[in-house]
Amino acid sequence: MSKRLDLPDIQGNIIRAYGRFGFPKGRFFFLRIDDGDRGRAFVGTITKRVTTSVSWGPPPKGVIPKPEAPINIAFTYNGLKALGLPTASLAGFPQEFIMGMKKRKAILGDDGPSDPEHWDKVWAEDVHVAVSINAQTPENGQPLEYVEEAYQWVKSRIDGSDGGVVLLTGHRGDDGQEDLPFQDASILYDENDQPCAKEHFGYTDGIGDPVFEGQITDEHRVAGRGKLTREGGWAPLATGEFLLGHPDEAHEYPPAPAPILLSRNGTFMVYRKLHQNPASFERLLDAHAESFPGGRELLAAKLAGRWRDNGAPVVNTPDTASKAAWDQRFAAADERTRDGMLADFRFDLMGDKCPIGAHIRRINPRGSLEFGQEGAYDTPGALDDRRRILRRGLPYGVVRDRGRDDGNHGVIFMALNTSIERQFEFVQQQWINYANDSKEGSDKDVLLGNHDAACPSKMVIHADPKSGQPPYFVDEIPRLVETRGGDYFFIPSMTALRMIAKGKVDPT
Amino acid sequence: MANISGNAYALTALSPIKNGCIGEISYADEVQDRLHGLGVCEDSPLAKVPQTYLARFFILDDVFYESTPGCDPFCNLLDILSIFKDRFRLLTLPREDHLKSRYLVFSSNFHGDLETYLRGMWSAINADIKRIWEHCVAFDGVRDAEGFITYIKRCRLTANLFFMGSTDDSLEEQLKALYLKQQFVKFAVSHQGLGAAELQEAFRVFIERVQPNRLAAPTWRPGQSIP
Amino acid sequence: MSNIAGKAYAMNVITPIRWYMAWINKLIFWAANRTPSSLRGLVTLSLIHYARWVIIDRWKFPHLDPSQPKEDLHYSYMLFFSNFNGSWDQYVDSFTFAIPSGLDLFWKKNVRYPKSVPLTPFHDYIRHNQIDTDHYYNAYPLASSNDVKSAKHLKQELIAFDQGVRDAGPEEFLKKYHALLVDLQYDLGDMQPAPIVSLATQAVDARRLLDARGPR
Repeated sequence: MSKRLDLPDIQGNIIRAYGRFGFPKGRFFFLRIDDGDRGRAFVGTITKRVTTSVSWGPPPKGVIPKPEAPINIAFTYNGLKALGLPTASLAGFPQEFIMGMKKRKAILGDDGPSDPEHWDKVWAEDVHVAVSINAQTPENGQPLEYVEEAYQWVKSRIDGSDGGVVLLTGHRGDDGQEDLPFQDASILYDENDQPCAKEHFGYTDGIGDPVFEGQITDEHRVAGRGKLTREGGWAPLATGEFLLGHPDEAHEYPPAPAPILLSRNGTFMVYRKLHQNPASFERLLDAHAESFPGGRELLAAKLAGRWRDNGAPVVNTPDTASKAAWDQRFAAADERTRDGMLADFRFDLMGDKCPIGAHIRRINPRGSLEFGQEGAYDTPGALDDRRRILRRGLPYGVVRDRGRDDGNHGVIFMALNTSIERQFEFVQQQWINYANDSKEGSDKDVLLGNHDAACPSKMVIHADPKSGQPPYFVDEIPRLVETRGGDYFFIPSMTALRMIAKGKVDPT
Repeated sequence: MANISGNAYALTALSPIKNGCIGEISYADEVQDRLHGLGVCEDSPLAKVPQTYLARFFILDDVFYESTPGCDPFCNLLDILSIFKDRFRLLTLPREDHLKSRYLVFSSNFHGDLETYLRGMWSAINADIKRIWEHCVAFDGVRDAEGFITYIKRCRLTANLFFMGSTDDSLEEQLKALYLKQQFVKFAVSHQGLGAAELQEAFRVFIERVQPNRLAAPTWRPGQSIP
Repeated sequence: MSNIAGKAYAMNVITPIRWYMAWINKLIFWAANRTPSSLRGLVTLSLIHYARWVIIDRWKFPHLDPSQPKEDLHYSYMLFFSNFNGSWDQYVDSFTFAIPSGLDLFWKKNVRYPKSVPLTPFHDYIRHNQIDTDHYYNAYPLASSNDVKSAKHLKQELIAFDQGVRDAGPEEFLKKYHALLVDLQYDLGDMQPAPIVSLATQAVDARRLLDARGPR
């Protein structure tokens, strides 16, 4: 990988998924700018503590020591407008970002229980700024100590703006509160109180996060995470799929607002609070576990494409016997081999190992859309490569009672990409809530689809013709995930942040 | 004959519209307005035209001026010459073309042969045909199906490549197949796990209801937009 | 006016081509007609119901009556009509990503064609030369091209199966039924209304339905 990025200019949350780097805690809060001058002054102050993508650790490789609580900042269209960006710059932002996520609900399938009328109250406000704090937990002391320190620091600057910047309240909490001033998030802990990468349905999440040019130096992580080459290998994706101002997979600069200094090294973030219904999920598994050959955990694995316990890709572990063998190899393997076992694979054409409608196959087909017709397309992943998103969120809440849906628990989903419409919205609309591209008609993703009792969907779990078994139908799927809030944000580069703070953005 | 792929036919007909106005509305705008007023899906007049898979009308007002950037094979020579004389530079710009009439374009993909199709079309919707084509040049001579066929043949263009990405079955076959797919999926999912005897009986009842070999009914209606 | 009917989009593109270059394009189309494998990318994309390319020589615009002025054009023209599934963006993107060389082959001789990669100039070229449809009819708005094809396979197999189990006992019936399901397991997608292609279209459609219902 020969490309070098200007790491001090790029906000840290773009290059790194903090959760993977030892930052188990998160706090997200949202602000409204009521006065342009004071708003800009606030941005200037915060920018001094915004975490960039430079290497951490002792010199010569590290630039700064690993921070206790990285802070990052992003803005909605209305926020940029309130901060005084000129119309000529504002007009260069893409349509979907200008509209904001609420107005796109028909495209995203945010209907019924996911409709904005059911969202946390904070999203009825005019959200301008998103501040995110990700934090380590201290060795000795309260887990949220570093979060609190950073949060109080930002809050003191908000208070110091004398009403120019307002902290918006209206987040739902663990005990029925509806008016909290922030959204907390945290990785989950297993039964031994060890941090794990799971979410509330029990699946290990975030394994297949994309890798792009210039991002990291670990070459082995490219396999399974980048794009497929015709020769059967993997290469990092073009930087411009995730960072504005760099050539993308279509060999051009992604459309971006002017001037260049405003957009280069920035990106767009989709923030979605996704409530999960664990009781409905367990009931769905129960309803089918008896009749599904292979049992409950295999069924759960087929729905997602990975086994719940350790994330084994079901394409390589399509039954309990092969899973047991895989587990043995996994336990004995070193870390690099393990990573390859988890990430480096392709899907089977016929779907009897990993069903065509399985979640991870829907969101990243890994060349399956060439349907085995080698050479039909420019590269096997030609239809996938421009639909990838960086995942930067964390779970929130804890399931206290697996027999209930209504607790405060889910995932803070954060997707980063240079085109919200072409990447996130496309996957959500065409591959999650629809399946014509994989020839499964209107069948929806079991886990994330906007299931509706009036118009029930189903999933086909394909059978191996040699097994003598018929395909299995998963029907009566309840809505397992509900949107509870969110919006579209622009994450500026450090240069852009300083320019915004000084009121110097000018595309003339 | 490149308009044909198997049993499917690609008809492209350009009918020149008379230059002139009715009152202050040009004939072409009037035609366009009538097209916009047609019902859609099952309410489209084309839903009554047998064997029509997908069809469209549009008004071709004029051709476009290619003021787009691009590479041209002969630019290079002119580029070199324009170093010596500036007028060569202007020659690299595309020429501005204009049509002298506006055209009603009718593009239809259907099953079967052209004459049968047009006869069926006239028989089903000749009132709509007259309303749509009445302001086209020389259409006043069209009085019957044979006249319509002759007229369309004069307007017809030959496709250089007709790509059939779907099937070339009759429309009845396609609609019946879609109906059966919809019904069978419901059956298969809702009867999962049933015992052999019960399933066999349920299947017999199912077949009696859906009548797979009877194309006329039950089936989807042409243009049906509600599941 | 709409380019959309259910799951299908009607695209009409007209592009000038120098009359003395048009024969090259005609040759390319003629060759494509005779070598099905050349269209493998198109077939695999599976997004298209029917599409056609028509080259109109500059003196061959239909002339039906002396009262009609004869066309006097510098260029010949290539017409492209497509009936495809998905949004405009998805369609154009799919072609640029998957079969850029195929696109170039068909459009290369057209005046000012910018090549299909990078993306934005190609997008602009298509938009610049696209004419909107005034009336679009689709006999099966609820079905994509994939649905029509899979339905054909399903009907054939269902009828054959029904014939084959006329005299079967329950156990044999069940065994053959399972085999039928395995055979059809890629043809069982639901068919519900299409995803919203654009909010503008959705708004126009909503108004149309209101108009159709009439004043209260």
